[in-house]
Amino acid sequence: MLEIANLSVNYGRVRALDGVDLTIKGAGALHGIIGPNGAGKSTLLDAVTGRRAPSGGAVRYRGQDITRRSVAWRRRHGMARSFQRTSIFQDLTVREQLTLIARHLGDDRLGDVIDAMNLGDCLDEKAGRIAYGVQRRVDVALALIGRPDLLLMDEPGAGLSAEETLNLFLHLRDLVRERGMAAVVVEHDVDAVFACCDVVTVLDLGRHLATGTPAEIRADARVISAYLGSAA
Amino acid sequence: MSGGTSRAAARSGVLLGGGVSTRAPVTVLLAALIFALGAYAPTHFLSEFALRIGAGGLLLGILALSVAFLMSQAGLVALGAASVYGGVGYLFAICLSEWDLSPTAALLFAFVAVVVYSAALGALIVRTNPLAFMMLTLAAGEMISHSVMLEGLRDYTSGADGLVVNFKGAVFGMTSADFANATRFWPIAWSAAWGLGLAAFTVRRSRFGAILRAIRENEERMRFSGFGTYLPRLVAFVFVNAIAGVCGLLHVLNSGFVSPESLGLSVSTNALVAALIGGVAGSTGPIAGGVLFAVAQDQFGAHGFTQLLTGVAIVVFIVLLPRGVVGALLDAVRRSDRRGTG
Amino acid sequence: MIALLIANSLALASLLIMLSSGLALIYGLRDVINFGHGALYMLGAYLGYSIALAGGFWLALLVSPLLLAGLGVAFEYGVLRPLRGRSHIEVALVTLGLGIVLGQALIFVYGGEARGVDAPTALAGSVRLFGLSYPLYRIFLITMGLGSCAALALWLRYSTSGLYVRAVSQDPSVARMMGVNADRLSLLVTSLSAAFAGVAGVLAGPYLSVDPGMDVTMIVNCLIIVVIGGTGSIAGAIVAALLFGFVQVAGSVFLPDLAALAPYVLLFVVLLIAPRGIGRGRAPA
Repeated sequence: MLEIANLSVNYGRVRALDGVDLTIKGAGALHGIIGPNGAGKSTLLDAVTGRRAPSGGAVRYRGQDITRRSVAWRRRHGMARSFQRTSIFQDLTVREQLTLIARHLGDDRLGDVIDAMNLGDCLDEKAGRIAYGVQRRVDVALALIGRPDLLLMDEPGAGLSAEETLNLFLHLRDLVRERGMAAVVVEHDVDAVFACCDVVTVLDLGRHLATGTPAEIRADARVISAYLGSAA
Repeated sequence: MSGGTSRAAARSGVLLGGGVSTRAPVTVLLAALIFALGAYAPTHFLSEFALRIGAGGLLLGILALSVAFLMSQAGLVALGAASVYGGVGYLFAICLSEWDLSPTAALLFAFVAVVVYSAALGALIVRTNPLAFMMLTLAAGEMISHSVMLEGLRDYTSGADGLVVNFKGAVFGMTSADFANATRFWPIAWSAAWGLGLAAFTVRRSRFGAILRAIRENEERMRFSGFGTYLPRLVAFVFVNAIAGVCGLLHVLNSGFVSPESLGLSVSTNALVAALIGGVAGSTGPIAGGVLFAVAQDQFGAHGFTQLLTGVAIVVFIVLLPRGVVGALLDAVRRSDRRGTG
Repeated sequence: MIALLIANSLALASLLIMLSSGLALIYGLRDVINFGHGALYMLGAYLGYSIALAGGFWLALLVSPLLLAGLGVAFEYGVLRPLRGRSHIEVALVTLGLGIVLGQALIFVYGGEARGVDAPTALAGSVRLFGLSYPLYRIFLITMGLGSCAALALWLRYSTSGLYVRAVSQDPSVARMMGVNADRLSLLVTSLSAAFAGVAGVLAGPYLSVDPGMDVTMIVNCLIIVVIGGTGSIAGAIVAALLFGFVQVAGSVFLPDLAALAPYVLLFVVLLIAPRGIGRGRAPA
């Protein structure tokens, strides 16, 4: 579904991503991306979603080259993203913002999203007033509207405890299977990733290091020396 | 008893863009009453002079509305409102004197021209961040001011002397003399204020308004939710400039004269101050602010001193009274309302 | 002919560089545009005029910037710090209001006509350069402009505070995390910016004039330069100032009737080609 070909991103003279090749197969799979700080994980998401223009390489979505497409275009065509720093509308109620997006994307089954992210209780609260954890759920809900085929998430576990992150990932895995969508999740919490993801990719210093099942990655010597150390 | 009233309330409830109000029909009736009264009562009770000040205040208030709408809905401060307000007057005058158009045709041409101008300008500057936008509208306003004073265009604009506007025949049934008459002009200014205020209200309550405000709050998330964020702001910019254009045409019809002062920076800042005084959030605020400003200006006399007070007012209202006078009053009402029912 | 054009462009650009770099510095550091910067320049000019009448040009060149630096400190403590929590637009509007007050106060004190300031006797007269006779004062002006440019560049490149300013301008969140004392930096930048406005104001006296409209004219010029240069980029502002000076001067030579519009044409052409301006400003948020 998603093909990343020789993707490079430069910040001035710094090479944040260096010739990364990656394929996301598709429906029903939860694909985790891990790596040390500065590995380029967020940059990869930025480049794939169109937030940052790559300095080289291409992004192909469903066979089509979308490297030049706008962020809004990608969203309208089924590629959604959630944010590391919760990015929602503080002054609108939860209902208002979900409805606003739903109407634009032509989604008339908003109830599904509300149930999936368990937002039924706080619909008429202003988003700025609800708890942080709930705000994060709103952030994800906004990304789920319109039944995207590909969901890209940037550190959904940021600010959550290990247990909360694990629960979130389990929830994500169910969601992904139920809806038949693909999800790519950048995450720091390695345990949650290994526990729930079907495929794991490791990035290091802007380069692709390894991709495989959690078991394969845990056993991979290069990964262990570069990142996992004895934590695996 | 209560069951009957609640059923009746439900039947008469009107959905006003997201809010159900059983008081809506009463409000509409009250509004219509105030409108009718306001259009004609002042002409019987107030002096010519007072009507002149009042009408001037309403026009400034409409200009303030254009500034306020863009600020509250799109988060953009336009410091060049006077260039459209005065510019449309110049174009009208030039159409009449240089190109011999009929007054109606001249009005139309001038209006369309400023709408096209604001579309072109907006296309260039709406993409930038709000601070840059503010700077660029200031620059554009000054550009228009300078254009009017250019030696090369002296034949058209008469430079610093300004242009006298005199048309024969009637526009919408009113002659040049009618427009200049304070008693006959007041209902026009009053109706225009209500009409444009209502237009702004309608847009605010529409889906477009919600989109604008959401873009203002979190532009990036809107893009990531599939919205284009450029076009809505461009449309909003053209909309507020259309309002300024109508207002400017009324002004030139009433005053019969345009000069470089009509499009100077002080007019733009006056509109801004009027918006801040009244409160930028609604339609009543800016228009009331305009009237307040006009009255205050009359009281304080000398131009220089008024301008100084304008500067002071900007600082005072931003720092101390960000919701303006009308906004503060509404807050007070809301608070007492809550206390009453709570 | 070309030499004259370049020389005159440099003279104008010198003033503009002093003013717009101050504006760009504050913008890069605090994301605040001081709309009252033109009024500061005007204050510097009028103060310079008064001081020069009493004690000569050189005294004015010394005292006016010092007084303005003091005002800059007052601005930092009285306006920028208390309003720190407010949106950038609100702060910008407050500076607009204050600028209006200052400008009007100056008109009230000095009246509405233009004042002339004489160049000091040491700098009066002309000099023969490349076969042309050129006013010595303008050469002085150019030297001051290039000098301040060089001083600014050296400071930014080699001093610790200069490094901090560059860092914060590029990415405020990161720099703040690294413990940069943004407050002290801001105080330094604000008073420097005001002082430079004072210098420019005094220098402008014998070169342009001292008149009631100079605050608006100058703030618009500076705003155009900051936008063209790329918001937050000081190098960009300098390049833009040079470009602006050239376009303005060339315009008045080749198209005198439309010369007043030349800067605006430049602005909109640049916006069409490079919507983010010339310099490498801060990364998109």
